[in-house]
Amino acid sequence: MSDATLLEVNLVAADHPVWSGKAKSATIPAADGVMGILPDHEPVLTLIDAGRVVLVDAENVRHMFEVTDGFISFDSNRLTIAVERGRDVVITKDSD
Amino acid sequence: MASQLALKSRINSTTSLGKIFNAQEMIASSHIAKARTVALNAKPYTDAIFDAVQALAAHSDIDHPIMKAQDPNCKRAAVLALTADRGMAGAYTSSILRETEALLARLKQQGKQVDLYVYGRRGASYYRYRDRPLMQSWEGDSDHPGVDVAEAISKTLLDAYMRPTEEHGVGELYIVFTEFENMVVQRQRVLRMLPVELIRTNTADDSEGAIVGDSATDDPGEKEGVSALYAFEPSVDKVLDAILPKYIQSRIHECLLTAAASETASRQNAMHTATDNANNLIDDLTRKLNASRQAAITQELTEIIGSADALNKEEE
Repeated sequence: MSDATLLEVNLVAADHPVWSGKAKSATIPAADGVMGILPDHEPVLTLIDAGRVVLVDAENVRHMFEVTDGFISFDSNRLTIAVERGRDVVITKDSD
Repeated sequence: MASQLALKSRINSTTSLGKIFNAQEMIASSHIAKARTVALNAKPYTDAIFDAVQALAAHSDIDHPIMKAQDPNCKRAAVLALTADRGMAGAYTSSILRETEALLARLKQQGKQVDLYVYGRRGASYYRYRDRPLMQSWEGDSDHPGVDVAEAISKTLLDAYMRPTEEHGVGELYIVFTEFENMVVQRQRVLRMLPVELIRTNTADDSEGAIVGDSATDDPGEKEGVSALYAFEPSVDKVLDAILPKYIQSRIHECLLTAAASETASRQNAMHTATDNANNLIDDLTRKLNASRQAAITQELTEIIGSADALNKEEE
Protein backbone atom coordinates (compact mmCIF):
# COMPACT_ATOMS: atom_id res chain seq x y z
CA MET A 1 0.00 0.00 0.00
CA SER A 2 1.49 3.30 -0.99
CA ASP A 3 1.69 6.37 1.16
CA ALA A 4 -0.91 8.25 -0.85
CA THR A 5 -3.71 6.04 0.35
CA LEU A 6 -2.98 6.43 4.02
CA LEU A 7 -4.42 8.92 6.43
CA GLU A 8 -2.07 11.21 8.23
CA VAL A 9 -3.54 11.28 11.69
CA ASN A 10 -2.80 13.73 14.44
CA LEU A 11 -4.63 13.18 17.70
CA VAL A 12 -4.16 16.01 20.17
CA ALA A 13 -5.57 16.66 23.62
CA ALA A 14 -5.76 20.13 25.11
CA ASP A 15 -2.57 19.69 27.10
CA HIS A 16 -0.54 17.18 25.13
CA PRO A 17 -0.27 15.50 21.76
CA VAL A 18 -1.61 11.96 22.08
CA TRP A 19 -0.76 10.14 18.90
CA SER A 20 0.33 10.92 15.40
CA GLY A 21 1.20 8.77 12.47
CA LYS A 22 -0.18 7.10 9.39
CA ALA A 23 -3.38 5.09 9.46
CA LYS A 24 -5.49 3.09 7.05
CA SER A 25 -8.76 3.99 8.62
CA ALA A 26 -10.23 5.88 11.52
CA THR A 27 -13.47 5.44 13.42
CA ILE A 28 -14.75 8.45 15.25
CA PRO A 29 -17.60 8.98 17.72
CA ALA A 30 -19.12 11.87 15.78
CA ALA A 31 -22.01 13.84 17.21
CA ASP A 32 -24.48 12.22 14.82
CA GLY A 33 -23.22 8.72 15.31
CA VAL A 34 -20.07 6.75 14.76
CA MET A 35 -18.28 7.75 11.61
CA GLY A 36 -15.66 5.87 9.68
CA ILE A 37 -13.05 7.67 7.67
CA LEU A 38 -11.06 6.08 4.89
CA PRO A 39 -8.50 7.74 2.67
CA ASP A 40 -9.91 10.27 0.19
CA HIS A 41 -12.92 11.03 2.31
CA GLU A 42 -14.48 14.41 1.56
CA PRO A 43 -13.17 17.31 3.68
CA VAL A 44 -15.21 17.40 6.81
CA LEU A 45 -15.23 19.24 10.11
CA THR A 46 -17.40 17.55 12.65
CA LEU A 47 -17.96 17.56 16.38
CA ILE A 48 -17.35 14.45 18.36
CA ASP A 49 -18.81 13.18 21.60
CA ALA A 50 -17.08 11.34 24.38
CA GLY A 51 -16.26 7.87 23.21
CA ARG A 52 -13.61 5.82 21.51
CA VAL A 53 -11.46 6.69 18.57
CA VAL A 54 -10.14 3.66 16.76
CA LEU A 55 -7.26 3.96 14.36
CA VAL A 56 -5.88 1.17 12.22
CA ASP A 57 -2.32 1.94 11.33
CA ALA A 58 -0.28 0.85 8.35
CA GLU A 59 0.77 -2.38 10.09
CA ASN A 60 -2.84 -3.30 10.83
CA VAL A 61 -2.43 -2.53 14.48
CA ARG A 62 -5.55 -1.13 16.10
CA HIS A 63 -5.11 1.81 18.42
CA MET A 64 -7.96 2.74 20.68
CA PHE A 65 -8.24 6.01 22.53
CA GLU A 66 -10.74 7.19 25.07
CA VAL A 67 -11.64 10.78 24.28
CA THR A 68 -13.99 13.41 25.61
CA ASP A 69 -15.69 15.96 23.43
CA GLY A 70 -13.85 17.77 20.72
CA PHE A 71 -13.85 17.88 16.97
CA ILE A 72 -12.13 16.41 13.96
CA SER A 73 -11.13 18.07 10.77
CA PHE A 74 -10.24 16.15 7.68
CA ASP A 75 -8.88 17.36 4.39
CA SER A 76 -6.53 16.03 1.75
CA ASN A 77 -5.98 12.88 3.81
CA ARG A 78 -4.90 14.80 6.87
CA LEU A 79 -7.01 14.00 9.87
CA THR A 80 -6.78 16.18 12.96
CA ILE A 81 -8.60 14.99 16.03
CA ALA A 82 -8.64 17.64 18.73
CA VAL A 83 -10.20 16.66 22.04
CA GLU A 84 -10.46 18.18 25.50
CA ARG A 85 -8.98 15.13 27.10
CA GLY A 86 -7.62 12.06 25.47
CA ARG A 87 -6.33 9.05 27.25
CA ASP A 88 -3.41 7.39 25.58
CA VAL A 89 -3.69 4.05 23.92
CA VAL A 90 -6.21 1.87 25.70
CA ILE A 91 -5.82 -1.31 23.71
CA THR A 92 -3.29 -2.14 21.07
CA LYS A 93 -3.73 -5.40 19.29
CA ASP A 94 -3.44 -6.95 15.89
CA SER A 95 -6.60 -6.95 13.88
CA ASP A 96 -6.45 -9.55 11.21
CA MET B 1 32.45 50.33 65.14
CA ALA B 2 29.94 47.48 65.32
CA SER B 3 30.92 44.61 67.53
CA GLN B 4 32.55 41.63 65.90
CA LEU B 5 29.90 39.33 67.26
CA ALA B 6 27.10 41.34 65.64
CA LEU B 7 28.96 41.41 62.31
CA LYS B 8 29.58 37.69 62.44
CA SER B 9 25.96 36.92 63.03
CA ARG B 10 24.91 39.21 60.19
CA ILE B 11 27.36 37.51 57.87
CA ASN B 12 25.96 34.13 58.91
CA SER B 13 22.37 35.10 58.32
CA THR B 14 23.19 36.72 54.98
CA THR B 15 25.04 33.60 53.92
CA SER B 16 22.07 31.40 54.68
CA LEU B 17 19.72 33.82 52.92
CA GLY B 18 22.05 33.75 49.93
CA LYS B 19 21.82 29.97 49.90
CA ILE B 20 18.04 30.16 49.92
CA PHE B 21 18.03 32.66 47.04
CA ASN B 22 20.39 30.47 45.12
CA ALA B 23 18.18 27.44 45.66
CA GLN B 24 15.11 29.42 44.59
CA GLU B 25 16.93 30.51 41.47
CA MET B 26 17.78 26.94 40.60
CA ILE B 27 14.21 25.81 41.26
CA ALA B 28 12.93 28.56 39.00
CA SER B 29 15.30 27.62 36.20
CA SER B 30 14.23 24.00 36.38
CA HIS B 31 10.59 25.12 36.26
CA ILE B 32 11.24 27.09 33.12
CA ALA B 33 12.17 23.97 31.22
CA LYS B 34 8.98 22.38 32.47
CA ALA B 35 6.87 25.40 31.54
CA ARG B 36 8.34 25.33 28.07
CA THR B 37 7.41 21.65 27.59
CA VAL B 38 3.88 22.30 28.81
CA ALA B 39 3.52 25.17 26.38
CA LEU B 40 4.90 23.04 23.54
CA ASN B 41 2.52 20.22 24.42
CA ALA B 42 -0.48 22.50 24.31
CA LYS B 43 0.50 24.00 20.97
CA PRO B 44 -0.81 21.30 18.59
CA TYR B 45 -4.28 21.58 20.11
CA THR B 46 -4.26 25.35 19.84
CA ASP B 47 -3.12 25.08 16.24
CA ALA B 48 -5.85 22.57 15.43
CA ILE B 49 -8.52 24.82 16.88
CA PHE B 50 -7.10 27.83 15.15
CA ASP B 51 -7.13 26.03 11.80
CA ALA B 52 -10.72 24.95 12.37
CA VAL B 53 -11.80 28.48 13.20
CA GLN B 54 -10.01 29.72 10.11
CA ALA B 55 -11.83 27.15 8.01
CA LEU B 56 -15.12 28.22 9.53
CA ALA B 57 -14.38 31.87 8.94
CA ALA B 58 -13.47 31.22 5.34
CA HIS B 59 -16.61 29.18 4.86
CA SER B 60 -19.14 31.69 6.03
CA ASP B 61 -19.51 35.15 7.42
CA ILE B 62 -19.65 34.16 10.98
CA ASP B 63 -22.45 35.88 12.75
CA HIS B 64 -21.91 34.51 16.19
CA PRO B 65 -22.15 36.47 19.43
CA ILE B 66 -18.57 35.57 20.25
CA MET B 67 -17.38 37.30 17.10
CA LYS B 68 -19.64 40.31 17.37
CA ALA B 69 -20.84 42.15 20.43
CA GLN B 70 -24.59 41.59 20.77
CA ASP B 71 -25.23 44.95 22.27
CA PRO B 72 -22.99 47.72 21.01
CA ASN B 73 -24.21 49.99 23.82
CA CYS B 74 -23.14 47.62 26.54
CA LYS B 75 -21.42 49.73 29.16
CA ARG B 76 -19.89 46.86 31.04
CA ALA B 77 -16.54 45.23 30.48
CA ALA B 78 -14.68 42.43 32.18
CA VAL B 79 -10.99 42.55 32.96
CA LEU B 80 -8.98 39.51 33.88
CA ALA B 81 -5.58 40.16 35.46
CA LEU B 82 -3.10 37.31 35.53
CA THR B 83 -0.85 37.65 38.57
CA ALA B 84 1.37 35.29 40.54
CA ASP B 85 0.46 33.11 43.49
CA ARG B 86 3.71 33.69 45.31
CA GLY B 87 6.02 36.62 45.68
CA MET B 88 9.77 36.64 45.13
CA ALA B 89 9.25 37.30 41.46
CA GLY B 90 10.48 40.87 41.38
CA ALA B 91 8.06 43.31 39.84
CA TYR B 92 5.99 40.61 38.12
CA THR B 93 2.74 41.09 40.01
CA SER B 94 3.11 44.80 40.60
CA SER B 95 3.64 45.52 36.91
CA ILE B 96 0.51 43.57 36.07
CA LEU B 97 -1.43 45.46 38.72
CA ARG B 98 -0.12 48.77 37.41
CA GLU B 99 -1.13 47.83 33.88
CA THR B 100 -4.53 46.70 35.13
CA GLU B 101 -5.11 49.96 36.98
CA ALA B 102 -4.25 51.91 33.85
CA LEU B 103 -6.69 49.83 31.83
CA LEU B 104 -9.41 50.25 34.45
CA ALA B 105 -8.91 54.00 34.39
CA ARG B 106 -9.06 54.01 30.60
CA LEU B 107 -12.27 51.99 30.54
CA LYS B 108 -13.84 54.20 33.19
CA GLN B 109 -13.00 57.19 31.10
CA GLN B 110 -14.98 55.63 28.29
CA GLY B 111 -17.91 55.45 30.66
CA LYS B 112 -17.73 51.73 31.16
CA GLN B 113 -18.37 49.81 34.27
CA VAL B 114 -15.72 47.21 34.89
CA ASP B 115 -16.01 43.77 36.44
CA LEU B 116 -12.67 42.64 37.72
CA TYR B 117 -11.53 39.03 37.69
CA VAL B 118 -8.17 38.08 39.13
CA TYR B 119 -6.04 35.02 38.70
CA GLY B 120 -3.28 34.47 41.24
CA ARG B 121 -3.18 34.91 45.00
CA ARG B 122 -1.02 38.05 45.05
CA GLY B 123 -3.35 40.02 42.84
CA ALA B 124 -6.44 38.80 44.66
CA SER B 125 -5.05 39.78 48.05
CA TYR B 126 -4.04 43.19 46.71
CA TYR B 127 -7.61 43.97 45.75
CA ARG B 128 -9.12 42.33 48.78
CA TYR B 129 -6.93 44.35 51.10
CA ARG B 130 -8.12 47.51 49.42
CA ASP B 131 -11.75 46.42 49.62
CA ARG B 132 -12.17 46.55 45.90
CA PRO B 133 -14.91 44.33 44.57
CA LEU B 134 -13.71 41.22 42.77
CA MET B 135 -16.14 39.27 40.65
CA GLN B 136 -14.14 36.13 41.05
CA SER B 137 -10.62 34.98 41.63
CA TRP B 138 -8.71 31.79 40.92
CA GLU B 139 -5.79 30.93 43.11
CA GLY B 140 -3.21 28.24 43.54
CA ASP B 141 -2.28 27.35 39.97
CA SER B 142 -0.29 30.25 38.68
CA ASP B 143 2.96 28.37 38.11
CA HIS B 144 1.43 25.23 36.61
CA PRO B 145 -1.84 26.20 34.95
CA GLY B 146 -3.74 23.13 33.78
CA VAL B 147 -6.57 22.72 31.35
CA ASP B 148 -9.01 22.57 34.26
CA VAL B 149 -8.35 26.08 35.46
CA ALA B 150 -8.43 27.40 31.88
CA GLU B 151 -11.78 25.68 31.47
CA ALA B 152 -13.15 27.16 34.70
CA ILE B 153 -11.99 30.66 33.77
CA SER B 154 -13.27 30.59 30.23
CA LYS B 155 -16.60 29.17 31.36
CA THR B 156 -17.10 31.92 33.94
CA LEU B 157 -16.08 34.65 31.54
CA LEU B 158 -18.11 33.33 28.63
CA ASP B 159 -21.14 33.04 30.91
CA ALA B 160 -20.71 36.68 31.86
CA TYR B 161 -20.25 37.60 28.22
CA MET B 162 -23.28 35.69 27.01
CA ARG B 163 -25.65 37.13 29.61
CA PRO B 164 -27.87 39.90 28.31
CA THR B 165 -26.84 43.42 29.24
CA GLU B 166 -29.77 43.80 31.64
CA GLU B 167 -28.51 40.91 33.74
CA HIS B 168 -25.05 42.43 34.12
CA GLY B 169 -23.72 40.81 31.02
CA VAL B 170 -20.41 42.22 29.83
CA GLY B 171 -19.74 43.44 26.32
CA GLU B 172 -15.99 43.04 26.24
CA LEU B 173 -13.32 40.99 27.87
CA TYR B 174 -9.76 42.13 28.37
CA ILE B 175 -6.91 40.05 29.67
CA VAL B 176 -3.86 41.62 31.25
CA PHE B 177 -0.96 39.20 31.23
CA THR B 178 2.77 39.04 30.90
CA GLU B 179 4.16 37.92 27.63
CA PHE B 180 7.25 35.80 27.62
CA GLU B 181 9.69 37.19 25.14
CA ASN B 182 12.84 35.56 26.38
CA MET B 183 14.53 34.81 29.67
CA VAL B 184 15.37 38.44 30.27
CA VAL B 185 12.48 40.31 28.70
CA GLN B 186 8.88 39.82 29.70
CA ARG B 187 6.33 42.39 28.73
CA GLN B 188 2.92 43.25 30.12
CA ARG B 189 0.21 43.11 27.53
CA VAL B 190 -3.46 43.89 27.35
CA LEU B 191 -5.38 41.62 25.05
CA ARG B 192 -8.98 42.06 24.05
CA MET B 193 -10.24 38.52 24.08
CA LEU B 194 -13.94 39.06 23.43
CA PRO B 195 -15.49 39.75 21.04
CA VAL B 196 -12.98 37.83 18.96
CA GLU B 197 -11.38 39.60 16.06
CA LEU B 198 -10.43 36.97 13.60
CA ILE B 199 -7.55 37.35 11.30
CA ARG B 200 -8.61 36.04 7.96
CA THR B 201 -5.26 35.72 6.33
CA ASN B 202 -1.72 35.31 7.44
CA THR B 203 -1.33 39.02 8.08
CA ALA B 204 -1.64 38.66 11.79
CA ASP B 205 -2.55 41.96 13.33
CA ASP B 206 -0.97 43.03 16.54
CA SER B 207 -3.80 42.45 18.95
CA GLU B 208 -4.28 38.86 17.89
CA GLY B 209 -1.25 37.78 16.06
CA ALA B 210 1.42 37.72 18.69
CA ILE B 211 0.03 34.65 20.33
CA VAL B 212 -1.35 32.73 17.45
CA GLY B 213 1.11 34.26 15.03
CA ASP B 214 2.97 31.04 14.32
CA SER B 215 -0.08 29.17 13.20
CA ALA B 216 -1.25 32.09 11.11
CA THR B 217 1.81 31.93 8.92
CA ASP B 218 0.76 28.71 7.25
CA ASP B 219 0.86 29.09 3.52
CA PRO B 220 -2.34 30.63 2.21
CA GLY B 221 -2.47 28.53 -0.92
CA GLU B 222 -3.29 25.42 1.01
CA LYS B 223 -6.05 27.21 2.85
CA GLU B 224 -7.83 28.42 -0.25
CA GLY B 225 -8.15 24.98 -1.72
CA VAL B 226 -9.46 23.48 1.43
CA SER B 227 -11.82 25.87 3.05
CA ALA B 228 -14.54 25.98 0.44
CA LEU B 229 -15.02 22.24 0.41
CA TYR B 230 -15.52 21.48 4.06
CA ALA B 231 -18.66 19.70 5.10
CA PHE B 232 -19.74 20.73 8.56
CA GLU B 233 -21.52 18.22 10.71
CA PRO B 234 -24.02 18.36 12.37
CA SER B 235 -24.36 21.95 11.04
CA VAL B 236 -22.29 25.09 10.70
CA ASP B 237 -24.05 26.72 13.63
CA LYS B 238 -23.60 23.77 15.92
CA VAL B 239 -19.96 23.46 14.99
CA LEU B 240 -19.50 27.18 15.67
CA ASP B 241 -21.28 26.91 19.00
CA ALA B 242 -18.97 24.13 20.03
CA ILE B 243 -15.69 25.33 18.62
CA LEU B 244 -15.68 29.02 19.45
CA PRO B 245 -15.85 28.47 23.22
CA LYS B 246 -13.05 25.94 22.84
CA TYR B 247 -11.11 28.52 20.90
CA ILE B 248 -11.55 31.02 23.71
CA GLN B 249 -10.57 28.41 26.23
CA SER B 250 -7.44 27.48 24.38
CA ARG B 251 -6.52 31.15 23.97
CA ILE B 252 -6.97 31.66 27.70
CA HIS B 253 -4.94 28.56 28.41
CA GLU B 254 -2.23 29.91 26.17
CA CYS B 255 -2.23 33.21 28.08
CA LEU B 256 -1.99 31.32 31.36
CA LEU B 257 0.96 29.32 30.07
CA THR B 258 2.81 32.39 28.80
CA ALA B 259 2.13 34.12 32.09
CA ALA B 260 3.44 31.11 34.01
CA ALA B 261 6.61 31.06 31.94
CA SER B 262 7.08 34.79 32.51
CA GLU B 263 6.46 34.40 36.20
CA THR B 264 9.10 31.72 36.47
CA ALA B 265 11.54 33.75 34.43
CA SER B 266 11.06 36.88 36.51
CA ARG B 267 11.37 34.81 39.66
CA GLN B 268 14.64 33.44 38.40
CA ASN B 269 15.89 36.93 37.54
CA ALA B 270 14.79 38.30 40.90
CA MET B 271 16.46 35.47 42.76
CA HIS B 272 19.63 35.87 40.71
CA THR B 273 19.79 39.54 41.66
CA ALA B 274 19.07 38.66 45.28
CA THR B 275 21.90 36.13 45.31
CA ASP B 276 24.26 38.73 43.88
CA ASN B 277 23.15 41.28 46.44
CA ALA B 278 23.64 38.80 49.25
CA ASN B 279 27.16 38.09 48.06
CA ASN B 280 27.97 41.81 47.87
CA LEU B 281 26.59 42.29 51.35
CA ILE B 282 28.70 39.43 52.65
CA ASP B 283 31.81 40.98 51.09
CA ASP B 284 30.99 44.34 52.67
CA LEU B 285 30.34 42.85 56.06
CA THR B 286 33.49 40.72 55.93
CA ARG B 287 35.50 43.85 55.20
CA LYS B 288 33.90 45.60 58.14
CA LEU B 289 34.53 42.60 60.34
CA ASN B 290 38.20 42.57 59.36
CA ALA B 291 38.51 46.28 60.01
CA SER B 292 36.86 45.93 63.37
CA ARG B 293 39.10 42.99 64.33
CA GLN B 294 42.15 44.95 63.22
CA ALA B 295 41.01 47.92 65.24
CA ALA B 296 40.50 45.74 68.30
CA ILE B 297 44.00 44.27 67.93
CA THR B 298 45.55 47.71 67.50
CA GLN B 299 43.72 48.93 70.54
CA GLU B 300 44.90 45.96 72.58
CA LEU B 301 48.48 46.50 71.45
CA THR B 302 48.33 50.20 72.30
CA GLU B 303 47.03 49.30 75.71
CA ILE B 304 49.77 46.74 76.34
CA ILE B 305 52.52 49.05 75.13
CA GLY B 306 51.06 51.91 77.12
CA SER B 307 50.91 49.91 80.29
CA ALA B 308 54.41 48.48 79.72
CA ASP B 309 55.72 52.04 79.27
CA ALA B 310 54.05 53.07 82.46
CA LEU B 311 55.61 50.14 84.33
CA ASN B 312 59.06 50.94 82.90
CA LYS B 313 58.75 54.56 83.94
CA GLU B 314 57.83 53.51 87.46
CA GLU B 315 60.96 51.29 87.68
CA GLU B 316 63.18 54.14 86.56
